Amino acid sequence: MNFLNKWKYLMIVVMSVLLLTSCGFKDIDKRYFVVSIGVDLDKTNSKRYLVSLKFAVSNASKETPTEFQIISEKANSMSEAVRMIKTKVDKEIDFSHAKAIVLSEELVREKGNAGIYYWFARRRDIQKISWVAIGRPSALKVLKVKPKSERIPSNALFLSLGKDGSESPYVMSEFLFDMKYRLIERGIDPVLPIIDAKKGFFEINKVGLFNKSHMILTLPPEETKILNFLRRREEKSSNKITRGKTTIVIDTHKVNTKYKIVTPKGKAPFIKVNVSVEGNLEETTKRVPKEKLSDFERAAEKSISKEVKNILVKIQKANLDPIGFGLRYRSRHFNNDDWEQWKQIYPTIAFKVQTKVQIEDTGLIE
Amino acid sequence: MNRYFLYLVLLNMLINVIIFVPKILIEYRYDGAVMGVLIAIPIGIALNYLFSTTLTKFPQQGLPEIISLLKHHWFGVVHLVGIQLVWFTAGLITLISFIDILTRFINPEMPKLLLLTIFLAALFLIIQMPTDRVMYLLEIILFLNTPLIAFIIFKAFSNEYLSWDSMLEVGTHIWAWPSLKAIAAATYCFSGYTNLIIFNRVIKGKLKLWNFFIITVLGVFNLFTTFFIPIGFHGSDGAQELLYPWITTADSLRLVYSPIERVIFLFLMFYMSISLMSISIHWHVALELLKGTFRGKVNMKKNWIVLSFFGVFSVIGVIYLNALLLNKITVYWLIGRLGFELLVVCIFFFWARRRAA
Amino acid sequence: MPSNKVQIIKESLRNKILPSEDVVYKELHTKEKYIEILYIKTVSDGMVIKDNLIIPFFEIANPDQFLDYLQSLPTIKMFEKEDGALDELIRGDAILFYQDHIFLLDSKVDRNNSVLDTTVETTIQGPQSGFSESLPTNIGLIRQRYPQNTLEVESTTVGTISKTKVMIIHDRKVADIQTLHKIKQFLSSIDIEMFQTGEQLLDIIKKSNRALIPVMLVTERPDRVVVNIAAGKIILLVSGSPFAVVLPTVMKDFMSSMEDIYQTYWVAKFLLVLRYIGFMTSLVLPGLYVAVTSYNPELFRVQLALNIAGSRTSVPYPSFIEVLLMLFMMEMLTEASIRLPKAIGPTATTVGGLILGQAATEAGLVSNIMIIITSSVAISNFVVPINAFSFTLRIMKYFVLVLGTIFGLVGVVFGFLLLVAYMVKLDSFGQPFLTLIQSKPSKKL
Repeated sequence: MNFLNKWKYLMIVVMSVLLLTSCGFKDIDKRYFVVSIGVDLDKTNSKRYLVSLKFAVSNASKETPTEFQIISEKANSMSEAVRMIKTKVDKEIDFSHAKAIVLSEELVREKGNAGIYYWFARRRDIQKISWVAIGRPSALKVLKVKPKSERIPSNALFLSLGKDGSESPYVMSEFLFDMKYRLIERGIDPVLPIIDAKKGFFEINKVGLFNKSHMILTLPPEETKILNFLRRREEKSSNKITRGKTTIVIDTHKVNTKYKIVTPKGKAPFIKVNVSVEGNLEETTKRVPKEKLSDFERAAEKSISKEVKNILVKIQKANLDPIGFGLRYRSRHFNNDDWEQWKQIYPTIAFKVQTKVQIEDTGLIE
Repeated sequence: MNRYFLYLVLLNMLINVIIFVPKILIEYRYDGAVMGVLIAIPIGIALNYLFSTTLTKFPQQGLPEIISLLKHHWFGVVHLVGIQLVWFTAGLITLISFIDILTRFINPEMPKLLLLTIFLAALFLIIQMPTDRVMYLLEIILFLNTPLIAFIIFKAFSNEYLSWDSMLEVGTHIWAWPSLKAIAAATYCFSGYTNLIIFNRVIKGKLKLWNFFIITVLGVFNLFTTFFIPIGFHGSDGAQELLYPWITTADSLRLVYSPIERVIFLFLMFYMSISLMSISIHWHVALELLKGTFRGKVNMKKNWIVLSFFGVFSVIGVIYLNALLLNKITVYWLIGRLGFELLVVCIFFFWARRRAA
Repeated sequence: MPSNKVQIIKESLRNKILPSEDVVYKELHTKEKYIEILYIKTVSDGMVIKDNLIIPFFEIANPDQFLDYLQSLPTIKMFEKEDGALDELIRGDAILFYQDHIFLLDSKVDRNNSVLDTTVETTIQGPQSGFSESLPTNIGLIRQRYPQNTLEVESTTVGTISKTKVMIIHDRKVADIQTLHKIKQFLSSIDIEMFQTGEQLLDIIKKSNRALIPVMLVTERPDRVVVNIAAGKIILLVSGSPFAVVLPTVMKDFMSSMEDIYQTYWVAKFLLVLRYIGFMTSLVLPGLYVAVTSYNPELFRVQLALNIAGSRTSVPYPSFIEVLLMLFMMEMLTEASIRLPKAIGPTATTVGGLILGQAATEAGLVSNIMIIITSSVAISNFVVPINAFSFTLRIMKYFVLVLGTIFGLVGVVFGFLLLVAYMVKLDSFGQPFLTLIQSKPSKKL
């Protein structure tokens, strides 16, 4: 009897569990994976967005590369657009592999789009480690690019934004969580890479600098490289230095940047920036004798200092802070109104840049 | 067998991520959380020391056995009834909040009650085991999970996106007047020792001083990690927007070479077992204390009545408490818990001293 | 004994033992004396009777001298009780009626006493022979390998019909008395008709006779038995079975192979880790596949996810059916290869495994990834060295699979935890089955 009762209970439990289930079970081939998301402004109405989702179409054959499909929708908000796109596809839309978010340049130049940035951060299924970038001429065009080397849709984008594939000092990749961090943290501003869509490939060598709401400034490739140095994110690069008629190229393998905000009493505050570069000689237009190497080092120091200072001033003029000087100031001062103080100090603060260049090796040729 | 004592303390240190401790600390980051944490450390260690040294006077005995030495039964019964409630709610809060996390991050379309069934099944199996077996299970689970959690923490510390400046910025608010809520939340990391009330049964031998030394080091590191890592990733201003700072932080980590790229899933998988163990430990204590209150033989029927009460309360909790409400309740629960803990430790300390004299 | 009483006993014994063809009742006569012999020729050794009884009977003329001779034979016992004598007769003793005495001559035939090669727990190096099917030979094997005067051998019988002889062997110096007591109690409480081999105890140990996880180790290796005796374990030898039962057994014993002793330290450690990884893989992988493909595809990296999605596009049913289908195929294959003669075994495996797997993917019935998972589950299942445990593992993975199907990733983790908790809860004669740090058995006497 007891034994029968036990089984009865067990059956009830099993039955109730089976009744409750059938929720959330959806096979991987019934899901439509979004690999990248593009957001543009609607051309006809600037209040509306054009949201494009790039789906990976998986096929069984290993010979042909995976296809993709882009579906776009105009709507007043992200969620509306996604809801409308759902009606156009046969499978469940799965955002969990959306590893690249491309925003068009027009969109980021416009104010009042914070809702979009927060939409990404708020959704649980969008990875916080997806990359955010600015697309030129439009996000949709960037999504449409199909490089030859790519077997999985958008994989080329992932590889070039991440550090797994190509490593370049001109790419300044940005994760979604870091973008959100910079959008809200007082004293440090967002920086997003700009992707230029070309025929069959991408060109990623510029960055756009944001204030707390929209993009203000874009930096050309060389300045991007310097900014990368200052943020200590990338160390391999090549620098062209001209001295007299000779031009040499230094291939850096170690770049170290330190900065310190000095606020002497009674005197004007300044920011001391120390850059130290170690590298090899890679290319020269003329033969460079060994004794002259130190002269080139001096020349390189001078030119790098100048470049660094120029870009720092340029950013300062635009009242932006991608490096986080403001945060550094806040973190070193114990008073509560340090942020207000810094807002007064920053527009007028002076930069003192010191560079130390060391050419360690001249390659296989003396 | 002093390692068992460390396990109990370590478990609470790990579980604080689930029970809103980082959320509360980050909420008061400019208003006294830093000082609160600093104050909580000595309080936590002192309570640890007092309670465990008191209990070593009763080797291998849990509270029910100790109470049975007393002449006044009613005193014991009153004492026990209050304590069980605290332990039960401790487990309940962890349970509800972890089920919320699971539905949010892993199974968004699954009804919470379904998730609860599997939790309850596992819990009922574990809490009815003898105390030493619960301890063995805890040991195995900690052995499997702690190295990997430590690896995740290491990855977090070595991440280039971790902003030390943001962490220092919060550190500069050290002189803000300490907030009671922050102290209560921070002391939770140390309060694993209270489980000794039952688990003293399996502790053999005296606790040595190095135990407390390790607890101090671990506690300081743990509080620093819980509090500051989310700030380092999401900013001194941004971290407070997050409902579960640590889960989002885990989602901000990326393992480039691992087949599982997103750390959040590893993190949640490890925490499934850790939180299951934490709830089991708390409920096991509650169950054993209840058995002590019944006195005499505990038959299967009484046992199942108690278990079904546990079940019913957790069903009610899961249905009526959402994360935001639970967060509010937890804040006051943590304060209440701190007061209760102080009370229990003091009563116990003086009572044991008088008895020894 | 008065002669009329002997007569009565003789008659009653002859009545009780029904007239079968193999019952032999003989009377031997010489001038001076005569003797009557009763035995069953199929279980008695005719040579023993001839050598010990018949030849001396005709050689020794003097009746008293022959009586002395009989009393001095080491294999002879005096008659005590009628029931006992009947028992012994059935087991192969010969009953002698000589003058006014009744003797029992131990003439049991000892068949199957050849030592067998190990077939279940094979190792590359180390001893290669196992136990035989004869109890005295087996005890001899153990004594040979364990020459200690503290080795104790006790015997008892199990089985109401089979009356199988069971030997309890332990080293008095190291074995735990409490455990021994528990084991004896357990053996005496067994209510079973036919007891053939120690493996039957695996189920009997549970009150409901339904055990999932074995809590005693059945081994065919004398070297393993001896090592376990030295570690304080208690051994049961069952008459007629070439397997010994080692008690109490914990998880660690199931995961250890005798080879661990015969390898260098790091190799042994590596093999041990390998086994645990195999255990985990086999247990969790099918459930994990269902959970990940059907609930949380975000767990993989995007490249892998698209691969799996691609290989699943032609599969017409949900993932758990796919897994079940393939796992059943695999179980069939395993079962079939046990039953098949050794000569055809490999053919069946090849046909089943390679060709079927290949064809199933080509036909789009299962995905490529699934084939990989099924085969790795099958292979890692047999990394577990003790057969009884690896069979248990075969069942346990379905439990995880079911939970994974219903609850997704949570189900897989919880399925694993539930099994671990269950194993921690189990105990084998007072020893916890699964602990991280196995405490040594107490050596108190």
